[in-house]
Formats: sequence, C-alpha cells, structure tokens
Amino acid sequence: MITLLQCEYRKTRRKYLFLTALGITAIQLCWALYGTHPEDTLEWGWMMYLYQFPLINAIILPLLSIVVSSHLADLEHKGVMLKSLAVITDKKHIYDAKLIYGLSIVLLCNLISWCVTILSGYLIGFSGAVPLRLYALYLLFTLTPTIVIYMLLHALALLFRNQAVTFFTGIIGTFIGLFSMFLPSVPLLRKLLPWGYYGALQFVGMFGWTKETRMKNVYFATTDIDWMAFGILITMGIACYLIGEKLFERKEV
Amino acid sequence: MNEIVTTTNLTKVYGNQTCVDHLDLRIRANRIYGFLGPNGAGKSTTLKMLLGLVTPTEGTIDLFSERSTSKNRMKLLKQIGSLIESPSYYGHLSAKENLKIFSTLLQVPDSNIEKVLQIVRLEKHQQKAVSKFSLGMKQRLGLASALLSFPKLLILDEPTNGLDPAGIQEMRELIKSLPAQYGMTVIVSSHLLSEIDQMAEDIGIIANGKLMYQGELDQLHETAPSKSLEEIFLGLTGKEQSL
Repeated sequence: MITLLQCEYRKTRRKYLFLTALGITAIQLCWALYGTHPEDTLEWGWMMYLYQFPLINAIILPLLSIVVSSHLADLEHKGVMLKSLAVITDKKHIYDAKLIYGLSIVLLCNLISWCVTILSGYLIGFSGAVPLRLYALYLLFTLTPTIVIYMLLHALALLFRNQAVTFFTGIIGTFIGLFSMFLPSVPLLRKLLPWGYYGALQFVGMFGWTKETRMKNVYFATTDIDWMAFGILITMGIACYLIGEKLFERKEV
Repeated sequence: MNEIVTTTNLTKVYGNQTCVDHLDLRIRANRIYGFLGPNGAGKSTTLKMLLGLVTPTEGTIDLFSERSTSKNRMKLLKQIGSLIESPSYYGHLSAKENLKIFSTLLQVPDSNIEKVLQIVRLEKHQQKAVSKFSLGMKQRLGLASALLSFPKLLILDEPTNGLDPAGIQEMRELIKSLPAQYGMTVIVSSHLLSEIDQMAEDIGIIANGKLMYQGELDQLHETAPSKSLEEIFLGLTGKEQSL
C-alpha cells in the first residue's frame, strides 16, 4: 500500500492538487472569519464558532471533496491508465490507495482549518478557555460526513469516465444538504443524504434572537447530540465503500 | 515445444452478441504468435480476457501451465507485459516519470527504465512531457512500459496503430528481435495481413469471434502455395470481411 501511495503522490506532481485544496480551505476560513465581529462575540465566541462553522462546512467541504476526487480519477481516465494499472496491481488496491491519498488531502485541510479556527479565537480574544471536548466533537462531526461524502464521490469519479457525473452529484447533494439546514421541520431531509449530516450533527444552537433585540440577548448553548444519526452516517459510509469498491472491481476497463 | 498460453472454449457474450466464440488458443513459448482478424473480430476482447481485464462468460485460460483464476491472476500477470489498444500514460509527466511509476509498482530496478528507453529509442525524449509526444512516440512509450519487467510473455494489441511507415518497420524489427534477445513469447494482434506475414511465426485467424485457423504461418503458406496470405485469409473468413 505504501508503494501505491508513493505512486499516487508521483502522479499528482506538477498538478498542485494540495495547493488547490489549501486554497479552498483558505477561502473557507476567510469567509467564516470575515463574518466574526469581535465586539458582539467575545463572550460567546467559542460557542458561536461551533454554531456557525457547520453551515460553511456544508458548502465548502463537499466542494473540496469534488475537486480532489474528480481530479485524482481524471488522471487515470484521461491517459486510459486503469487498464494498464489493473494488470500490474489488484484493482481493489488501486481503489483503496486513491481513496486513502485523496482523503488524506481533504482531512489534512480539515485539520488545518480546525487549528486555525481555534487559533483565531485566541487571537480575537474570546472569553474563557477553549471548550476542548466540544471542539473535539465538532472535529469528529465535521470529519465523518466529509469522509462519507468523499467515499461516495470517489466511487463515482472512478466508475464514470465523465467527471460531470461526480461534479453534478456533488453540487446537487451540497444544495440538498444546505437547504436541509434551513428546514429543521423536515428532519428526514437531513438524514437522507450524507450532505445533510453537517446539520444533523450540529450540537450548538442559538437562542434569544428576536427581530427587535437582534444579537443583544443572544446566547449559544449545546443541544442533544443525535448519536442515532451518527450511526446511520457510519453505516452509509461503510455501504458507500463496499458497494463502490465492488463495482470498481467488476468494471471492465 | 511447450505451450505458454492455452485457452479452452473461451467465450465472451455481451447481451445477445457473442464476441468470442469457444476459442481454443495454443501459443508456444519463445515464438511470435500473430493474432489476425478484421476489425471487431474479437481480438482485443480475447487479449483482455487473457489479462483478466474482461471476465470470460465461459471457458478456461491456462498461463505458464497454470489455470488462471481470480486468486492467482496477479501472480501470473507479473510475468506478462501488455499494450492493449491505445497506449496508457500520464500526459503531464515525462516519459521517465511515467516509467518510474510502473517500475515502482512492478518492483523492478530503476536501471530497467534506462534499458527500455534505449530499446524503444526514447532516451533523448525521456524528460519531455508525454502530452507533447507524437502518437508514434506514445506507442513506443507504451511498449517500453510493457517491456519494463522483461516479461516472459508480451501481449501487444495492434502495436503499429498510428505509426508512420518508418515507425511500423522499426516496431516490427523490434518485436521480431524480442524472442531471441530476451527469451520472450510475443502475441501480437493486427488486422493488417502484411504486418503479421512479416512478423509472426505462428498464426491464429479469428473472424466473428471464431478461430478459423491456427498453426505455423509457413504451414499455412504450404497448404496453398499459389495463393497469397490475403487470398487465404479471405477464403477462411469469407469475402465479405474487409481488411
């Protein structure tokens, strides 16, 4: 597997894939931090981040997954490489190596974003210590939907030569996931597709907001964590991986 | 002489179309086997089945006297080099970088890269991005990657496609030299009679998925000395088959 991962790295030389991923992460951070007004938020800063970031993640992280997965698969499709690789190494290993390599890039960007988020809280001067337990949960609930979405897009990108399939699936899924966050009255929508789980696993709510007082009386508090949704998401991930890998193994190249 | 590839009743059916029909190939070691047939006869599908890229509907494949199954497929393929249909490459990488990926996966020494680049005469272009190569150069790079492990069996599907006459001649001479120089067995498919006539020692003629003739090329000529290979081929495959 190490050999295959080395090859994956070599294949992306001069393609600046990691740099592109970092660029998308930078856009995510600029967008999130631009909307943070220190005067309003010093008191609730740490909790406010946990409330705000899932929404931005629901837009940016699926986009990052589309870019990385389709880029890695397109390298193989463009040069008709799969038929050459499939006679040198097991197709299952090709599938896994590409998945691990692509996911590593996406997850590393997630981690960088998480660290910068905490660092920015310190620099802005949020009150109190970082609620580390909540931030660890936030990381878990950010990484897990991202992994599942990536697994699905990875399968599509390798199965279909035309990367428009991956692109449009990713975009439509992102829209559904985003809309589901604004429709809490339809909880099924959040749990139907992996894109909805950034919202389904959000565990910080905003309270006290009215048209008249606006942010004046606002406070943030934790809500119940939907562990059942987390379980469904994990099951989705396992299904995506197993079905995708099996279909790729059967695919005639 | 021992047979390096044997197929029994090898069949591939897509929907209700039989692409390869109960093929019994016998390919002897250290020979050049010409696999001749018109376009769409089932040559590429047969070669893909030998490599495990396409699953046969029926029949068996024996490689190096061992039954090829999904379990031992990779072990057997380590002794096979192949160039199927069009050459494969990463366009943004140089020829050397492309071969480095193959050599890493095949676990062969880096010195083999220099050797095969020399064999296919691409050593002067090894640092150039493959996307800037001509079709002939890409075809030679494809051959280089097939030769990289100096396999016992080399499977080449229409290797002269897209080459100019000089390139065809060069490729032909190169293929002809492989059994003697490196002890390889070569299966080369083509729809061009003259190509097979000048290159192959043994020949298999396929039409509509069926094997019409198999044996030594010289013997085929002896059976009808007054006829050209083209006339023999048309007689075997039916005159409606165009070349």
